[in-house]
Amino acid sequence: MMKSVILKPLINRVLTSLLVLFLLITFVFVLIRLAPGDPSQKFLSPKLSPELSAQVQKSFGLDKPIYIQYFAFVSKILTGDFGVSYNYRQPVLSVIKDYFLFTLIFASISLAIQLFIALLLAKASFKNQGKVIDKFLSGLSVIIYSIPSFVVALVLIYIFAVKLNLLPTSGIGTIYSDENNFLENVKDRITHLLLPLITLSIAGIVVFYKYLRDNLVSTSNQTFITNLRASGYSEKIIYSKHLLPNAIQPLISIVGIEFGLLLGGALITEVIFALPGMGRLTLQAILNRDFPLVIGCTLIAGIMIIVTNLVADLIKIKTDKRLVKELIK
Amino acid sequence: MISKIKIWQFITSVSVLIAVVRSNYIISLMNLWFDILKSLVNEGVNIFSIFDYSLIDSLFSSLLIFIIPIVFIINSRLKKIFSSQLKLSNAVLTLLMLAFIFAPLITLQNPEFQKDIRVTKLLQPFSVVKYVELKKNIQTDFNELQILKSKVDEIIPKSYKNEIVYFDSSLITNSFKYYQTERISEIELSKLKCINGKPVVRTKMFLLGSDEYGRDVFTRIIFGSRISLLVGFGAVIVSLLLGIILAFIAAENGGVLNLVISRITDLFLTFPAIFLVMLILALFGSNVFSIIVVLGFTGWMSLFKIAKSEIISIKSKEYYLSAKLIGLKNSKLLIREILPVIIVPVMVNLIFQFSNVVLAESALSFLGLGLGNNYPSWGAMIESGQRYIEQSWWLIFMPGFVLVVTLLSINELGRKISKSFNPTFE
Repeated sequence: MMKSVILKPLINRVLTSLLVLFLLITFVFVLIRLAPGDPSQKFLSPKLSPELSAQVQKSFGLDKPIYIQYFAFVSKILTGDFGVSYNYRQPVLSVIKDYFLFTLIFASISLAIQLFIALLLAKASFKNQGKVIDKFLSGLSVIIYSIPSFVVALVLIYIFAVKLNLLPTSGIGTIYSDENNFLENVKDRITHLLLPLITLSIAGIVVFYKYLRDNLVSTSNQTFITNLRASGYSEKIIYSKHLLPNAIQPLISIVGIEFGLLLGGALITEVIFALPGMGRLTLQAILNRDFPLVIGCTLIAGIMIIVTNLVADLIKIKTDKRLVKELIK
Repeated sequence: MISKIKIWQFITSVSVLIAVVRSNYIISLMNLWFDILKSLVNEGVNIFSIFDYSLIDSLFSSLLIFIIPIVFIINSRLKKIFSSQLKLSNAVLTLLMLAFIFAPLITLQNPEFQKDIRVTKLLQPFSVVKYVELKKNIQTDFNELQILKSKVDEIIPKSYKNEIVYFDSSLITNSFKYYQTERISEIELSKLKCINGKPVVRTKMFLLGSDEYGRDVFTRIIFGSRISLLVGFGAVIVSLLLGIILAFIAAENGGVLNLVISRITDLFLTFPAIFLVMLILALFGSNVFSIIVVLGFTGWMSLFKIAKSEIISIKSKEYYLSAKLIGLKNSKLLIREILPVIIVPVMVNLIFQFSNVVLAESALSFLGLGLGNNYPSWGAMIESGQRYIEQSWWLIFMPGFVLVVTLLSINELGRKISKSFNPTFE
């Protein structure tokens, strides 16, 4: 009974996501077709003879009327065929696959770090409310929030790579690292990814910290916490079983958005540290006018945000039964 | 003591200070104004051929340096608007605005000026370089326009100047010998500006160092504030217009239009803004106009949401209904009845949006998609400094520091304003 009542709004929610996805595809198509410049000349050679250029255009279907191109475009994407990258001469999905795998791992590690450190800091700040450490952390979070990620990255490179000469600054591993044993390889990977991870995580840590701290404070002022305290529960149990779950609850949708954005690619971090991720792939594709690859990357980024938002909403509904009532209304 | 100063007093006193320190230069600019106006009256002189960007820039800043303090002292309304107390964040933003307006007066240099790169490249902050000046060629044919041109060349800073020679060390014998890192050159003494038979050696200080082409970092940072603020203001205005007008349409009409606009808003919120901006800039080319429009187009969604919910609640209020029944036009309804009510949340949103745009502009310049190639920009400076991170830290940290301080001040201002109107806001 309950399930069928929830099902309709849930389907509605999914359908809305699909509509947004469709609009996204259309929007990207319109933008790319509006842009000036002939892709066949830009790509192969500017000296291409008109006949050869026409042949190339034909082979990519660029000579047909715009609406036919559009329908071909949408139907191909819906069947999972993103076309062949002009630049890599490979199907787009297989180009994206490797880059996406890296981004997925990188983003997941970064998100875990963000949540873990934010939780620790928020706890420290909450336990020492109004004391020096709380004020220090709050002030620091405001400052760090205003620092652009490329400045953070360059400061880190300057300190750890240039001055202390401890960590490498680009790539994900040393060349010929295959010859090393497993442990050395792991160490190599960690040293290469340490600075990028700090760069990518620091902004998220600040945002999560701020939300968590404020949520903890506002939850602790509610009457049920006072009630629990009066009943004689220990502070530890109150914190871990009642305060924390209630404070994390509103954070879920923010985590969803953040994770979606991270999966689209950490553009600046990847560019500075020369990492093989989605962000850098997108930038290169855009600069090369590699239409199919641009479309593929952008759509993957958009889909990731839509999906993570949806999943975050579902988790929220699962964990908080009050939301079901709102949804049905 | 400092907290007693009001913002308008600060603006006035800093402008007066600039005027006093640069009085020589301003007087020569005034002379130039006089000459130009004189030749305008004289027919037959094609004066417009001498105008270029930096000339107009310098001329107008020489006027504004007088107009701004006078206007602030005379106009009591302006005094009222800028009557809040001076805080660190206000002061930084005020100084930035003044740098924006008076850039040529503050620096007295062209941001692209470079000469003798061997000597001047990658200099540390506060380094001092010696130079001698060559005598100018005396022109033989005097034409009114040429006189004016030579005057302009003398006063307005150009990106290249033949008459200056930078050197490390020198030796005076029959001729003037000078060293430029391992290279020895000679100039005849008669060609140099001399006093008592000895060439006049002057020095120039690079306050924040110089970059790989020997350009002064301080000058470029001051001029870089123009791009950041210009793009910031422009994009915020675009977002404001888009957000408010769309919100008004959606809230007033409801129904299908509301649904469509809300879906489009969702779409824009879904699309990762930085990719959208990059895509459009790469496709349509990047100039000031396209960057402003693109950043404006990607930043109106939160404003739209705030404004829409506010307008929906205003819609059923009696004062609004009566204004509507009187027959006010939509544009008047929006400006007279709605804007005054929603101005505070909108303004706070715009200020945070402004900081986002400044950040986005510098990030774009950093990625090489901005305006950094044609005009100094903080992001582009940091990007080009990256290559010299090992030997020249100032190329990255000076513009980076200015950028961070700017963003901090803007965010602080936004937080203060929202706090003063909404005490529960943290």
